[in-house]
Amino acid sequence: MKKIYLILIGLLPALSFAQNLTDGLMMSSKKLCTGLLYTHDQWTDYWQGEKKRDNGNIGHVTTQSVAWMGTYGITDKVNVIAMLPYVKTKASAGTLHGMEGIQDLSVGVKYNFFRHKSDKNAFNTFAVINFSTPLSDYTPDFFPLSIGTQTTNLQYRLTAHFKVQQGWFVNGSGGYTWRSNTTLDRPAYFDGNEQYNTDEVKMPNVFDVFVSAGYHKGALQAELNYIQQNTLGGADIRKQDMPFVSNRMNYIKAGVLVMYYLPKPQGLAVRGAVNRTLTGRNVGESTTFTAGALYTINFNKKNL
Amino acid sequence: MITRNLYRITQTAFAAGLLLLASCNKDIEDTEILAPQAPAALDEDAANWAPVDASVMTIEKITGIVENSTPKVFNPPADVSSDAYKTELAAIKDLQKNLTKEQRGVIEYWSGGGVLRWNQIMRGMVARFNLPPEPNAVGAYPAPDAENPFSDPMFPFANPPYAARAYSYVSVAQYEALKAAWHYMYQYNRPAPYKNDSEIKALMPETDLPAYPSPDAVMSGVSVEMLKLLFPVAVEEITKKAAEQRNAALWSGKATASDIAAGLALGKSVANLFIARARGDGMGAAGGNKALWQALVDSCTKRGELAWKSLETPARPPMLPFFGLRKDANKGTKLWSMTDADLVQCRPVPPPFTASAEMKEETEEVKWYSKNLTRERLAIVHKWADGAGTYTPPGHWNDIGAEYIRDAHYSEVRAARAFALINMTLHDAAVACWDTKFYYFNPRPSQMDPSIKTGTGVPNFPAFTSGHSTFSGSAATVLGYLFPQQAQYFLLQATEASYSRMYGAIHYRSDVEMGLKHGQTIGGFTINFATTDGAD
Repeated sequence: MKKIYLILIGLLPALSFAQNLTDGLMMSSKKLCTGLLYTHDQWTDYWQGEKKRDNGNIGHVTTQSVAWMGTYGITDKVNVIAMLPYVKTKASAGTLHGMEGIQDLSVGVKYNFFRHKSDKNAFNTFAVINFSTPLSDYTPDFFPLSIGTQTTNLQYRLTAHFKVQQGWFVNGSGGYTWRSNTTLDRPAYFDGNEQYNTDEVKMPNVFDVFVSAGYHKGALQAELNYIQQNTLGGADIRKQDMPFVSNRMNYIKAGVLVMYYLPKPQGLAVRGAVNRTLTGRNVGESTTFTAGALYTINFNKKNL
Repeated sequence: MITRNLYRITQTAFAAGLLLLASCNKDIEDTEILAPQAPAALDEDAANWAPVDASVMTIEKITGIVENSTPKVFNPPADVSSDAYKTELAAIKDLQKNLTKEQRGVIEYWSGGGVLRWNQIMRGMVARFNLPPEPNAVGAYPAPDAENPFSDPMFPFANPPYAARAYSYVSVAQYEALKAAWHYMYQYNRPAPYKNDSEIKALMPETDLPAYPSPDAVMSGVSVEMLKLLFPVAVEEITKKAAEQRNAALWSGKATASDIAAGLALGKSVANLFIARARGDGMGAAGGNKALWQALVDSCTKRGELAWKSLETPARPPMLPFFGLRKDANKGTKLWSMTDADLVQCRPVPPPFTASAEMKEETEEVKWYSKNLTRERLAIVHKWADGAGTYTPPGHWNDIGAEYIRDAHYSEVRAARAFALINMTLHDAAVACWDTKFYYFNPRPSQMDPSIKTGTGVPNFPAFTSGHSTFSGSAATVLGYLFPQQAQYFLLQATEASYSRMYGAIHYRSDVEMGLKHGQTIGGFTINFATTDGAD
């Protein structure tokens, strides 16, 4: 098992890159990778339905978050991934009050259920189940400044990862997210299609695709990625209306991600990413920067 | 071994998660359930209740129109023993044999009460049309045009004053139409089909109400005409709902084709009287024009005050500045229970001078609420926000009133009276509050101090007094009159609605406190009418 892993990730077995629910990487047994990620997301133009526009009453909408994350290898084939962000939003124009708070705790299990390897390449597939739930009582009724949808979600993913010995890889992942309904502070609402005399909002589920390709060898992981999210229902933002929590929020984003293990101290990695929304529906045309530091701790006595 | 078990557990967890999802149902339930119900009393004397606006309609006036038009609006009914009537009964029997599930659904829907249903429908319609026009390429806001309703922006922009007026016209016209129906129903005393023929099933709760003209058809006729005037773009939905209401009466064995035809004609005749009132009530001039908007700024500046300005980008013309009293023409939108003199006499005393220490203090208080927007207060702000894209504060008070009206098991005509009273006072509150707002033209807190951030959108009109507070004060007062045991509850709700505007940092304390009192005074005028109309 150890030998295979060596072939897979190259020469430095101590370096672990598994972070995401969407990637094809695993932490090996009894290792914990944990750290903080800072994200800065900003948009000026947004899609009101399919029509792109700006809005002088909000200017640029900035969302910043600091997220704690941790990935732990229960075994080489089963990882637990957890994440908890603190999110803060702000509009540069108009009078609307920004929102901030602890958002949703997410805990997922990633299972490497199939492995095929040869001297030249390796192919792995993964199943992921991820549960997330709000940890604070933030409002879902103040988009675009709400920090989340205040829903409990259950996500399923299947991921396939192919890598050649030289370090080049491709990765593809598809996910389906079931979202619970959400509750507003008001007794009735118009969702963009019709009037409901209740505070409960039916939330459409979400489908997403993540594709990446890049180089991953030694201390370096570098990739280009493509992210698509489709909300499976929901109304469009009406002309000059505020967005609504159950809107059909779709987007396609492209991005770059780099992660690098510093020579010293051992186990410390830095990570940076940029994403740009290429097209969307009922979302902002955002540019997102992520920067963070992650540290890997080995609880495996044999390796100490 | 442990590892293998772990994989089994992992696999089981995945499978269990999938099963859990399959069992989850996300359908939501409407919390305003209108179950089929029979009225507790028939209100046989309703035709004698005093008219809301005798210059528009009295029973004498409508009977004159019905009987003296050529041809007559409708003729006296055929005898129940006539062949014509028996043919109608046979038709109902045939229809009842083959009712589809969908048709039964329509019957069930309208069994919850016609007046209550139309109120619910109208609230949805207001929410749909409550969107401000989008700025165009040069940063101007084209005004919605009643003569060209389908264009962009579509007509109307159902903002709070527009909505208050719309709710009131539909409610008052329904009320007067039902009183006219009661007049003829008890004049002709023709029983419902299910009373005349034992083979006809009563698929709605049975009552002893006479059926000619059908009150359901009266409601459909009056509602369809009023709503087409107020929400012309929704003509398809309105027409469909109205036809459904008539069909429900027919299919359920409540009315024959001739009961329905007479009712429809009567409802439309009453609507015509109120449409004429609406066309001449001053609403058409409420938007004003550039010169008039500038005059408001100039007269405020001349008084040494800081004039209100739009906080939107690009700046938007004020919302219906002449919906209240127009200082140039000395008239505004017509009121229901107040005279213009009442309105001037009850106008709130001025707010603190914008340059005064008192105003500064009030602004600082608002800023404190802005900086300390707790989750608890934000929930109150959002509960009452009722901004763009919602049924507006008048709609919210209809929503609150609806369940009490439902639970009181009123006859249709008494339910119509209750909604008429609520919406008359809400309309008067809109006129009086807009009069106050544009009389003083006082800036919003965020204009006084741009660092004040708000928990909901800043409405595009002056601050003093708060519309929410005035609406809520008036509606809670009238609801408290209708349902005295709940008066304390309504007042608490109104007070919460009122302060929500200060918590949200869009109003000063004097706006909300004065607005609430002003609203209660306005409610008193409506109660003055209600106590003398002969219904209580």
